[in-house]
Amino acid sequence: MQISEDGNQSSNEIAGADHNILNLLDSMDNYLILVDSLSSSLRQGWLELASARYSMGASRVNSSLFDLKSHQLPNQDLDNAGTDTELPRFTLCKWTSSDEAKLEEDELLKNKSDNPPVQHQESEERKAEESGSPVTANNHAEKERFKSLSMFGTLVSPKLRATQSTFETALETLVEMSNLRASLLRAYDQVQKDRKTDE
Amino acid sequence: MYGFEALTFNIHGGYLEAIVRGYRSGLLTAADYNNLCQCETLDDIKMHLSATEYGSYLQNEPSPLHTTTIVEKCTLKLVDEYKHMLTQATEPLSTFLEYITYGHMIDNVVLIVTGTLHERDVQELLEKCHPLGMFDSIATLAVAQNMRELYRLVLVDTPLAPYFSECITSEDLDDMNIEIMRNTLYKAYLEDFYRFCQKLGGATAEIMSDLLAFEADRRAVNITINSIGTELTRDDRRKLYSNFGLLYPYGHEELAVCEDMDQVRGAMEKYPPYQSIFSKLSYGESQILDKAFYEEEVKRLCLAFEQQFHYGVFFAYMRLGEQEIRNLMWISECVAQNQKSRVHDSVVFIF
Repeated sequence: MQISEDGNQSSNEIAGADHNILNLLDSMDNYLILVDSLSSSLRQGWLELASARYSMGASRVNSSLFDLKSHQLPNQDLDNAGTDTELPRFTLCKWTSSDEAKLEEDELLKNKSDNPPVQHQESEERKAEESGSPVTANNHAEKERFKSLSMFGTLVSPKLRATQSTFETALETLVEMSNLRASLLRAYDQVQKDRKTDE
Repeated sequence: MYGFEALTFNIHGGYLEAIVRGYRSGLLTAADYNNLCQCETLDDIKMHLSATEYGSYLQNEPSPLHTTTIVEKCTLKLVDEYKHMLTQATEPLSTFLEYITYGHMIDNVVLIVTGTLHERDVQELLEKCHPLGMFDSIATLAVAQNMRELYRLVLVDTPLAPYFSECITSEDLDDMNIEIMRNTLYKAYLEDFYRFCQKLGGATAEIMSDLLAFEADRRAVNITINSIGTELTRDDRRKLYSNFGLLYPYGHEELAVCEDMDQVRGAMEKYPPYQSIFSKLSYGESQILDKAFYEEEVKRLCLAFEQQFHYGVFFAYMRLGEQEIRNLMWISECVAQNQKSRVHDSVVFIF
């Protein structure tokens, strides 16, 4: 009886180790796919920027108009209630100023203990209702998109807007990669732990 | 009198017409572009260009090269040629040659004002200005807060002063006002240039009318497409179109109310010269519209050289030179970014 119990326990451990290794390999595969996707987005973005410069002229699209400063990315660290709280999960607050993002982060931290995580879009709509404005989240995003291109002029070529969209996609991929990296490292730690246990 | 330019043109313009035709023969051919498109690195491009008229301008540039360096040096060659022609020209050719640079002057003014509005370094902005559009007090543009100050402090002493009467306000300079200012100035400049060429008469008037009308029509289409989905109202859009050209006035009325690319196509396909351009595009596509317009422009510019004894050849050469520089910029970017499969997307062969 004891031998079969020991046998069951070891087979469970082996199954658990295999599961962790599979997790690790899956995470790595997904991560590499995202790296490839990011590389492709960035290549496309840079070529589209060159195409926009060809279309609009070098005086309208040149490096002197670029900001060339690093900006803090507005993001939120949403706590996944009911899951492992050690694993961070980032989401991107697109097209909000860093002040607005901080305000939303403070609100989220205040509500975290009592309420489920608030979706970004819901908080945007609530803010719009509170301000009495009929502007939807999409309209706000569109306005911010136009505003961010204003250094190149107000009437810009569709190619420049396509460039913006491509780099936006690359930014989203980066955030996904950071989340996936966290789970990849966690899976790796798990595998390392299993190896030490076996030894 | 039209038809009798052969009697008198060469007295003052013969030497320079010969010079500009010599410059024209130095433009890159299809064989040159094919060689350039096969280059693996920017140093290969430099090596191929060393056998062309650009050779002396690039030979002292150290490796590694940058695409902006290639564009700057090639632009420098065009500027030197222009300055040579300008110093040798007498009236009215000298005024005609100066008109060619006013577009660059407008671009430089807007670059400085926009960059200052967005807190960019003025020195960096000045380095990016087109050399053909430079004037003495250009750096003072950074001080102006509204258009009235812009005019009073800087532009009143420049050739752009007459074009400012339509857009002088005391409103502060913001992005939309600057864009409207840019397009209003360019509209006034094109109309003034058109009137000047009409006054010259003869073959110059005939050939330049066609070229400037095409420029006005292309600008109308670009303004329409670029303003779709923006805050620019239909009335404001209509005010930015020039008051001449094939599309004036009925085409402009239709373009002013267009809300998407298909409506623009519908408005333009009624005009046979533009039907061929839009027939190359798929429905809803605007990506290759620029190339299609550039190809049509190059065709018209090359035709200008088929006739003698007019000033249109100078305008045509400068525009063909700018197209060549655009081609070199695009090829350099494709090579630098390792995207040689896309190199033929935007190259417009001149010969």
